[in-house]
Amino acid sequence: MSEKFSQDKLDRCISCGYCLPACPTYQLTGAEESSPRGRITLMRAVQSGKLEPENLLAESGFCLGCRACEPVCPAGVEYGVLLEEAREILWQGKNRPLIIRGLFLIVGNKLGMKLLGLLSPMAKERKSNPELHLMLGCFERRLYPDVSKAAAKLAPEVSVCKEQGCCGALHAHNGELEKGKEMARQLGEQLPGTIITTAGGCAAHLSSVIGRDRVKEFSEYWSTKESSVSKVQNNGHTIRVGLQDSCHLRNGMGVTQEPREILKQLGDYVEIPNAGGCCGAAGSYSLLQKPNSRKVVSQKVKDIAALNLDYVATVNPGCTRQLVTELRRAKVKTKVIHLAELVAMGIK
Amino acid sequence: MSGSQLAKELEALIGSANVRSDASALAAYSHDATPLFDGIPEVIVTPQSTSDVVKIVKYAAESKTPIIPRGAGSNLCAATVPLKGGIVLSMTSMSKVLEVNKSEMLAVVQPGVTNLELDQLVEKENLRFVPDPGSRNVSTLGGNVATSAGGLRGLKYGTTKNYILGLEAVLGTGEVVRTGGRLVKDVAGYDVTRLLVGSEGTLAVFTEITVALVPRPTDSKYGVAYFDDLASAAACVDSIISSGVLPSTLEFLDNTCVVAVEEFANLGLDTKAGALLLFGDDGEGDVVTHTVEKMAKIAEKSAGIRGVTLAQNVAAAEALLYARRCSLPALARLGSLSILEDIAVPRPAMAEVVRRIEAIGAKFELRIGTFGHAGDGNLHPTIVINKDDSQEVIRAEQALAEIFALAIEFNGTITGEHGVGSAKLPFLEGKIGKANMDLQRSIKSVFDPANILNPNRLGS
Repeated sequence: MSEKFSQDKLDRCISCGYCLPACPTYQLTGAEESSPRGRITLMRAVQSGKLEPENLLAESGFCLGCRACEPVCPAGVEYGVLLEEAREILWQGKNRPLIIRGLFLIVGNKLGMKLLGLLSPMAKERKSNPELHLMLGCFERRLYPDVSKAAAKLAPEVSVCKEQGCCGALHAHNGELEKGKEMARQLGEQLPGTIITTAGGCAAHLSSVIGRDRVKEFSEYWSTKESSVSKVQNNGHTIRVGLQDSCHLRNGMGVTQEPREILKQLGDYVEIPNAGGCCGAAGSYSLLQKPNSRKVVSQKVKDIAALNLDYVATVNPGCTRQLVTELRRAKVKTKVIHLAELVAMGIK
Repeated sequence: MSGSQLAKELEALIGSANVRSDASALAAYSHDATPLFDGIPEVIVTPQSTSDVVKIVKYAAESKTPIIPRGAGSNLCAATVPLKGGIVLSMTSMSKVLEVNKSEMLAVVQPGVTNLELDQLVEKENLRFVPDPGSRNVSTLGGNVATSAGGLRGLKYGTTKNYILGLEAVLGTGEVVRTGGRLVKDVAGYDVTRLLVGSEGTLAVFTEITVALVPRPTDSKYGVAYFDDLASAAACVDSIISSGVLPSTLEFLDNTCVVAVEEFANLGLDTKAGALLLFGDDGEGDVVTHTVEKMAKIAEKSAGIRGVTLAQNVAAAEALLYARRCSLPALARLGSLSILEDIAVPRPAMAEVVRRIEAIGAKFELRIGTFGHAGDGNLHPTIVINKDDSQEVIRAEQALAEIFALAIEFNGTITGEHGVGSAKLPFLEGKIGKANMDLQRSIKSVFDPANILNPNRLGS
């Protein structure tokens, strides 16, 4: 049988189970097969031919891919990579969800990306520092064009080039690992030097392909700049603001303090319980696994409601979309806003 | 009986939501944290109550179906690998803390509560649950009791067996017994509680556990000493203890571990040292400072000492503790498979035993790193091999047999805190003798006449 998973990555797991308490799907179910260790056991069984690959399909979809298991792993297992490999093996042909096929079509070619940009007015093209580029994202540019506009306004030294593709994270996370890597490499060529992105998920994927030193997530970049912001006011009081971490920014790139430090300058910062825990958006997860996505986010909605916040800041568009939807559904008044937009409000 | 028939009958008993038999669930429960052991169960059940457990056990006794009780599956002795199929009884859904009583200094919990959850909860009352196995953030109280789990505090505080006041348990017949209670003093009848602690799922299924708590120490301090060789470190440990100090922490790493940890974690350790000794204590501020400084002074005067440093702040102390905790994963990175062993020997024999372990490593051409609890003589020789090299696997198994024999030769034991399970069962009689083996078998037949509870393990 040909090798399917990276054997050295499977071997790294010592089955200690330290990942179990960190895993949102294990917390929901208490089921070993829905834990990182259990899924690696399944991958090993597939690899050795003891288990038909089809038996891994359900778990490869149930897993959020949040990588909360990675920082707590004493053995340094690269679970995120193993999950990408699993989806590459399994999410082929009829097993590839229709939604994913549609999304791939849109972001996988120039025309699709151009359309996404044309539908929404995003940051204007400009040539500034040739070694510093703003990444516009794929669906981010369509859904939240104000984010790139805010980032561009805050960092005039950064060049904005509209001729740029998608970073390929969507492909890499959903069964087209090689294509996803190739797209990241192409984007790295289109945008020379350092790439600044307002999406934690894109940052993690892009940096895993073109190098950590070439990618800066917005809060990381902003922290290195000399700036003075004032407290943002809402109806005469300083805002109460919390953060929803981006899973891949936190677990894949280790960026946790920067957004918090920025928010402390912008308002009364309140740490949301389990702010580092996945909100259930998880890329395409909120589309593919809607009931489970809602189960994952339900406690978070309650926690946010209890804190009486003015704003929840996000550092990834998927989280924005998920929290906007779910807070609205629960009739929670807290507004969801990208960190860059909030910084722009503090600069005025 | 086919697996699906078994699942159907169990579904009728406790509801379909609590029974799983799909191929992925079965595969996931074919392992625990022990390398080289696997076996596919026929069904996974997750009881929600004591009465669910009673129904399942009664059914299994009638149909002679093996039951493998399981908590988090973090044990290192293959105690929960379903080698003969049967029912995996996953206790993780019974995970309520029923009571924390500050004046009685006890807690009553269901078996699925994790060790860390319990300790964090009682911390709010300034209490501590003492046993702290390395797996504490994931391992369950049920599993801790089943293996009488140890940890880093054995010398000063003892292990799980010293903190269990009472149990509710379901015998192999389906009868529910309550043993012990809420009291420190209670000699009414045989000490069945103590017998069940460490019984590895072979005598009964725990459904409720009453644990003793202690006041939470307010302070802790740590230091590190480096020695030319492990014999010098062991002699230093003897000097510390004979000086009248009973510290909470006396941990050591041999040179193989120090080098592996330093390569992994870059903590600035002295990689030329033959041994690293981590010492520390907990309690009230001045007392702790006095104890730790006294230990440092003894270490400075010891033969073969290379240097002593006291951790000046919490971060420095955390770094030292991290060096000890990451020994296993750091070693594990050196090969594709690591076998962690768990012998214990009388403290004065420790230096000689470690030297002999090194000789065994050389004889079988194996990389063996040894770390462990210097205070209580519990050693964790860890063999790191390439799992695809079948010759190396065989040599590792031969080396393990010699290491167990070595422990027994020095009046030690084949397992200090991990348990016997399937991994060490072949060596058990060598440790406890035939008469005791027969006694264990007789005991099991009383608790579990149908021989369904974790069969082919202790007492079977």
